[in-house]
Amino acid sequence: MRRAYFKNNWVAALVVAPQLLIIFVFFYWPTGQALYWAFTLEQPFGGGSEWVGFENFQYLLSDGRYWDSVWISTVYALATTVLAMGMAMILALFADRQLRGYQSFRIGLIWPYAVAAPAIGLAFRFIFNPSAGVASYLNYAFPDVWNPVMNGNHALTMVIIAGAWKQVSYSFIFFLAGLQSIPRSLTEASAIDGARVMRRMWDIQLPLLTPTVFFLVIINITDSFTDSFGIVSTMTAGGPARATNLMVYKIYEDGFRGLDYSGAAAQSIILMFLVIALTFFQFKYVERRVHYT
Amino acid sequence: MKLPVLSTSVLAFAALTGAAMASGEKIKFDYWYGLSGQLGEAVAGTCDRFNASQDQYEISCVGQDGYANAVQNTIAAFRAKQHPTVVQAYDAGTADLMMSGEFYPVSKMMADFNIDIDWNDYFPGIANYYASSTGELFSMPFNSSTPVMYFNTAELKAAGLDTPPATWEEFEAALVALKASGKDCAYGYAPDSWIDLEQFSMAHGVPIATNNNGYDGLDSEYVYNTTLHVKHMENIKRWYDDGLLEIRTSQGGLNARDSFAQGECSFYLGSIASHATVGKLVDGAFEWDVAMIPVFEGTERKNTVVGGASLWVLSGKSDDEYRGAAEYLKFLATVESEEWWSANTGYIPVTKSGFDALNAKGFYDNPPYKGREVAIQSLTYTEPGPLTRGIRLGGFIQARSEWVNEVQAALQGTKTMQEALDTSVARSNDVLDKFARTYRGKQLP
Amino acid sequence: MIERTPVLNFVTHAILFTGLAILVLPIYLVVVAASQTLPDVMAIPAKLLPGDQLIVNLKAAWIQAEFATKFQNTIILATGVVVGKIVLAALTAFGIVFFNHRLRMPIFWMVFITLMLPLEVRIVPTYAVAANALSPFQTILDVTGLVWLINVTTGVEVALNWNLLNSYTGLIMPLVATATGTFLYRQFFLTIPDELVEAAKMDGAGPLRFLRDILIPLSTTNMAALATIMFVVGWNQYLWPLLIITDPAYGVAAVELSRMVPDSNTTGGDVPNWHFAMAGTLIVMLPPVVVVILMQRWFVRGLINTDK
Repeated sequence: MRRAYFKNNWVAALVVAPQLLIIFVFFYWPTGQALYWAFTLEQPFGGGSEWVGFENFQYLLSDGRYWDSVWISTVYALATTVLAMGMAMILALFADRQLRGYQSFRIGLIWPYAVAAPAIGLAFRFIFNPSAGVASYLNYAFPDVWNPVMNGNHALTMVIIAGAWKQVSYSFIFFLAGLQSIPRSLTEASAIDGARVMRRMWDIQLPLLTPTVFFLVIINITDSFTDSFGIVSTMTAGGPARATNLMVYKIYEDGFRGLDYSGAAAQSIILMFLVIALTFFQFKYVERRVHYT
Repeated sequence: MKLPVLSTSVLAFAALTGAAMASGEKIKFDYWYGLSGQLGEAVAGTCDRFNASQDQYEISCVGQDGYANAVQNTIAAFRAKQHPTVVQAYDAGTADLMMSGEFYPVSKMMADFNIDIDWNDYFPGIANYYASSTGELFSMPFNSSTPVMYFNTAELKAAGLDTPPATWEEFEAALVALKASGKDCAYGYAPDSWIDLEQFSMAHGVPIATNNNGYDGLDSEYVYNTTLHVKHMENIKRWYDDGLLEIRTSQGGLNARDSFAQGECSFYLGSIASHATVGKLVDGAFEWDVAMIPVFEGTERKNTVVGGASLWVLSGKSDDEYRGAAEYLKFLATVESEEWWSANTGYIPVTKSGFDALNAKGFYDNPPYKGREVAIQSLTYTEPGPLTRGIRLGGFIQARSEWVNEVQAALQGTKTMQEALDTSVARSNDVLDKFARTYRGKQLP
Repeated sequence: MIERTPVLNFVTHAILFTGLAILVLPIYLVVVAASQTLPDVMAIPAKLLPGDQLIVNLKAAWIQAEFATKFQNTIILATGVVVGKIVLAALTAFGIVFFNHRLRMPIFWMVFITLMLPLEVRIVPTYAVAANALSPFQTILDVTGLVWLINVTTGVEVALNWNLLNSYTGLIMPLVATATGTFLYRQFFLTIPDELVEAAKMDGAGPLRFLRDILIPLSTTNMAALATIMFVVGWNQYLWPLLIITDPAYGVAAVELSRMVPDSNTTGGDVPNWHFAMAGTLIVMLPPVVVVILMQRWFVRGLINTDK
C-alpha cells in the first residue's frame, strides 16, 4: 500500500509513547489483574484465592447455557450490523443526492446519535411493551401476536431493533461523509457516459465507499459485542428464560451482581478473544479488497 | 484605659474563637447506601437528621443507585483501601461480605464503645437473619420488610368474598370467583424467588437447602425441588395456563405492583415496603388492604423472614470513624428515628419498643399506615426456628437468577415445572460448590 | 444532481422521511412523556400526544437533579476527553502510519484491543488504579527489587501515590485510553498520497514538520468529526463516573439522570417519576445534540478524504 516513510524511528517512538503509557496504566494493567482472576477462584473482598488453572474455562465451555449465550450474541451482532449499516447506507446514498431539504434531513438523521443509552432503552420500552406501548395497538388487533415478555424470539427481535437504532445514526454519519468525498468529476464523467443514478451508485459510489464500509463493519460488530449491555439491562434483563442473555450481559450478571469474579473474568477472556479473532479475520481477508486511493 | 479594654476584648475574642476552633473539627466518616429514588432521599434524610442532632461527627452519605452497585462499588473501593465506614448491603450480598471477615460486628462495636443497645429488643425474625450462628449480631437491621398479600376489597366483595383468602386453596377459589365476576386479571404475577421460593418455604417451615438453609456449614445443597414448593409452582403454572393469573413485569409495561395499584388486577403479593407507594398510586380510587400471605391448608404457619438491607461496618478504618459510625447506628435505633423512618417509607420498625411506641400513638390505626402491622404479624408469627432464621447461602444472587429463568421457561411451556426446578437446583448447587471452594478452609462465622 | 429524475426524487424523499421518522420516533415519545403529568405517563394504553407540562417538568427536573453543577462537570469531562483523544490519537496514528518499523502493527493492535474489553468487565481493578495511578509502577519497582535497592543505597522509601478519585483527571484519563480515534486517524492517514510525503522529504522537512505543517491542517475536518463523537461519548459516560465519584460536587449528568429512574428491582419498590426522568433525559440530551448540529457541517464534510 504505502511506500513513502520517514526514517527517524525515535520520533515514532516519542509520538506513540503518551497513548501507550495511558493504555498501559488504565487498560492493560487492570485488565491483566482481572484476567488473572480467570485462573483462580477469587474472593470478592480480596483476602485469598485459589489457583485452578483452566478449570473456569472448562466449566464454561462445557456449559450449554454458555454456548447459547455465544450464539445469541453472534446473532445479535450480525443482525444489528446488517440492519444498521444497510439502513444507514440507503439513507446516505439518497441523502447524498442533495435534493431540497437535504440539510434538515442530514441534521435529523444525525442527532439521534447524541442520545444516551439508558434513555433509548426507556423510550423503546414504551414503544414495545405489549400492553401499553405503541405495539399494544398491534396486540389489540391480533391478540398475543407480539409478546416480548414471554416469547424469547420476540424479546430478541426487540433488542436487536433497539441496538440497530443506536447504530444507524453513527453509520449514517460516516457513510455520508465517505460519499461526499467521492470527487464530483467521477460522477459527472460517468453520467456523461450514460450511466443512470442507480448504475452510478452501484459502480462508482459503492466501491469507493469500501474503506468506510470496512471501518464501520469492524466498529459495529465490536460495539455490538461489547456495548450492548445497556440495552439488554433496561429492556429485558437477559430474559425471558435467557433468550436475550448476551455475553456481555452475562458477564455483568455473574461478576458484578453475582460476585463471581473468576467466572466473569473467564468469560471476558473468551469474549475478548472472539472479538479479536473476528477483527483479525476482517483485517486479513477483507481489507485487501478495500480501495484506499 | 483603652489598652486593657482592647486587650480584654481581644482576649475575649480569642477565647471565643479558640473555643469554637476546638469544637469545630468534626470527625467525618462515609456511608454508602443502595436505595434510590424516594427511598434514597429518605436515607439521605436520616443522615441530615443525624448531622443536625450533634456536632461531633459528620456523616457523609452517598447514594450508589441500587444495591448491586453499592456492593460492587464497595468492593472496588475496598480493594483500593478507599472504602466507606458504613455500607448498606442487601440480603443476597451478605454471604461474601461475611466470609471475607472484613467487617466489624455491630454487637462487638457497640460493646467496645460502651454504647448500650438492647439487642433483645430487635424482632427475632429480623435479628436472626443478620446474626452469627451464636446469635451475635453482625450488621444493624435497618430497612426491613416482609411480603404481604395486597388485595382489592371491593372486587373481592363483588366476587362474593368478604374476607381475604388465608390458604392457597381459598386463594385459588377466589381467583376463579373473580374471573367469574368478569375480572380479566385476578392476580398480577411475576416470578420472584424472594416471595415464591424463600418466603413461601419459611411460612411453611420447609427447607430451601440443607444445613438449615446454609447456617450450619458451607457444604449445603438446595432441596426445593423436593418440597411443597414444587406443588406451589405447579399451581402457578396451572393458574397461568387457565388464565387465572397474568404475567405483569416492568419490561412488559406495567409491573405487578402498578397493575394492582391501577386497579387492573385484584391481587398482588409483594413487599410491605411498597405499601406507601401503592397508597400513593391508588390515591383513594378503591378500597384495598393487606393480609398475610396464604399457606396451604393444614399447614402450621411459621414466621416469614426479612428482605431489605442492613448496615455493615467495614474493617480498616480509624477508631474515630468507628466511634462516629457507632453513634449513627445508635441514632437510628432510637424510637424517634424508627418513627421517622416508618412514616417516610413503607418499611416496618425493627425493634419491639419502636413498634409498641408507634402502636400506642395510634400510628397503625389509620391510612396510610393502616395495614402495615400485618407485616409485623407475619414476621413474628412464631419464634424463628432452625428453618426460619433466614438464608445463608453463597452466590445467592446467581441462584435466584437460575430460579427465575427456569420458572420462565416452565411458564413458556418448554419444560415441566418439576424439570425446571430440578435444573435450577442442579445449577444452583454448582454455584454453592464454587462458593465453598472459593472460601476453602474458612468457616461460616 | 446531474439529471432530472422526478420519480427517483420522490422515492428519495420518501425513503429519507421514513428513515427520519423511524429514528426520531423514540425521541418523540420521550418528549411526550416529559410533557405529561405522572398519572398520564403511566396510563394504559399509552397516551401518545404531548401534554402541557413540559416547562414545568423541565424546571422541576433541573432543580431536583442539580443539573447546573453536573453540567459544568460534564462539560469539563467531555472537553477533556475530546482534547486528550484528539491529540493522542493523532500522534499515535502518525507514529504507526508514516514510519516503517517492525513494531507498527503490534502497536496498532495493542491500541486496538482496548476496544474489545468493555469497562464493565474490568471496572474493579481499574478503580484500584484510579485510586493510585502510580501503583503499576510501584508494583514493578517492588517486584524487581528496585525499591529495596533505592532504599538501601539512598535511604529513600519509594512510595508513589497519585489519587485520582473524585477528580477531573480521574474522570478523564481512563476514558482517553481507548482506540476509536486512533483507528479513525489511521484510516485517514492511509489515504494521504505518497507524493505528499515525498515532497515534504525532498523539501528537507522532518517528520514533525510534516505533521505540523501538512498533516494537521489536512486533518482539521477529521478532528472536528472525532471531536464531536468524543464529546457525545464523554457526555454520556455513566459507569465510570458512578464508581469513582462519590463527592456530589463532581457528579456528572448521565449518572444524575439514572438516579432519576430508580431500578425497582433492587431498591425498596418505588415509583419512578417518569415525567421528570424523561424531562431530565431531554435536558441531558440537549448539549450533545447542539454540539452535533453545530459541528455536523464540519465533520460530515470532514470524515472525508478530499481532493488534495
